[in-house]
Amino acid sequence: MVPPDPDGGVVTISQASFDYVSALVRRETSMLYDPGKEYLVEARLLPLAREAGAADVDAYIGRLSTDLAERRKAIDALTINETSWFRDNAPYQTFTEHMLPAMLAERTHVRHLNIWSAACSSGQEAYSLAMLLDQHLPAGWGASILATDVSTAMLERVQAGRYGQVEMNRGMPATQLVKYFTRVGSEWEVSDDLKKMVRTQHLNLAAPFPPLPTFDIVFLRNVLIYFDMDTKRDILRRVRDVVAPDGFLLLGSSETTLDMETHWTREPLGRVQTHRPVPTTAGLRMPAAMTGA
Amino acid sequence: MEPDPMHVLIIDDSRAMRSILRRIVTDLGFTAVEAANGQEALDHLEAGLRPELCTIDWNMPVMDGYTFVSRVRSTPEWRDITLMMVTTESEHGQIVKALAAGAHEYVIKPFTPDAIADKFELLGVRAGVVA
Amino acid sequence: MSTLTEPTLSDLLAILDEVWGSFLSSPEPLLPASDDGMNHGTSAAVTITGDWRGIVVVETSRPVAEEVTRRMLMLDAVTPDDVADAMGELVNIVGGQVKSLTGGQSTLSLPIVASGHLVQPSEARELCRADLVWIGEPVRVTVLSVRTP
Repeated sequence: MVPPDPDGGVVTISQASFDYVSALVRRETSMLYDPGKEYLVEARLLPLAREAGAADVDAYIGRLSTDLAERRKAIDALTINETSWFRDNAPYQTFTEHMLPAMLAERTHVRHLNIWSAACSSGQEAYSLAMLLDQHLPAGWGASILATDVSTAMLERVQAGRYGQVEMNRGMPATQLVKYFTRVGSEWEVSDDLKKMVRTQHLNLAAPFPPLPTFDIVFLRNVLIYFDMDTKRDILRRVRDVVAPDGFLLLGSSETTLDMETHWTREPLGRVQTHRPVPTTAGLRMPAAMTGA
Repeated sequence: MEPDPMHVLIIDDSRAMRSILRRIVTDLGFTAVEAANGQEALDHLEAGLRPELCTIDWNMPVMDGYTFVSRVRSTPEWRDITLMMVTTESEHGQIVKALAAGAHEYVIKPFTPDAIADKFELLGVRAGVVA
Repeated sequence: MSTLTEPTLSDLLAILDEVWGSFLSSPEPLLPASDDGMNHGTSAAVTITGDWRGIVVVETSRPVAEEVTRRMLMLDAVTPDDVADAMGELVNIVGGQVKSLTGGQSTLSLPIVASGHLVQPSEARELCRADLVWIGEPVRVTVLSVRTP
């Protein structure tokens, strides 16, 4: 029996449909939809079911085994990371008040910062960081934000930089809205100045990473929860390898680096927990600033 | 004189909208006072009401929200009151205009209760605490 | 004079999804209707005048109008006045979104809410119409443009 939606709505998809979808997502992305998440599957697939003219979500799921195009769309919809502008606020405060000043002191040779917004979804995290950089980077300094996601549809949304009205009401002061966005149809589009700071790349965290620059700051927020323990550890290990020795990792508010003290040490800054890479024992690794990379 | 930390003044000519906002601000711990237009709202202030914040619709008869904002911001004894537009006017130019007149925040209709709560948080407006 | 754009059906659907989802906090979606089963119980309209001139109409059955009102005002029992206020606000918000889409300078009239079908003036031309089903009942939203005399 499919458990009820915690918000009180009625879930209509069958156990078989849920099991199929859960296995599909896990196979394609290693992300987990555990029992209890049926309402989420239903909510995320309903708009696609509607568009495809299916009678209901069960009927839509029935098509996925033979319809590759719909299957891709379904996977994209299911691997969306819920996001918003300046989500949780405190991490962005710590970014501005602690991480950025530290990096400005350490990178005077290159005057450039590399930031990774991992599992970027529709890009609100990446553009939130871009707004802060626009406000706080001194003249003569640059920054690159790499926004990656397993969903190509999401990456296209990041490139378009367009957001609906309802999204614009949350998390962003009105002064920033008018400074960085213009109306396009019923949506709001981010300015070209901010878009220039953000580059997108397809990346599945659970798979080996493509070649990546060395990052000064990594935001890996609220995505590790979708993976099992072994995959989580593996991801954290590989992320450590692409972060500068004096760099920072930020996870979601309730996430930790588990038992990986050999790779990450915790350092509270402001109201959040940041994570600093533990140096590898295999020789010195020079930060990008000194290798000129 | 410090603003009364417990009141929010809801200014909108739509009874339905006032009712929606009343419930949201009450859930946030405030006492709601309602006005159907800018003039009625000014009457409340002139009578001594000192709300922590006003939610202000733009298009209203008698006195519109933009005019109300200008009037409040040019009156020294009312300068501590936080002003938040809540309106269907969603053009970029309108938002710039309202902020230039002195509005502190701007919410576009339709909005969720969370959006209002969010803005209150951004503004540091909390029931029982003077911002 | 700034460029004016006319709203499309897909603009209208995006607006309606946002209004139903956020404002009515409705977990039940607006689904496409399979037939023209409109029961003209309640109509609410708002006019847009200025650089662009048009009319936005929301038509629903009485049960839907009452349910919209119950959810919007979070009341168990609603009066006809409540329904008038809630449906008026609904069309006001949808109309406001349509107005801002069109660009240029224009103003929204006060909403009118009526029982039955609002017959539109002969110079009004239907631009797009969304025929939808919500909680099993029909909802129709129409955007009309009015020829400049």
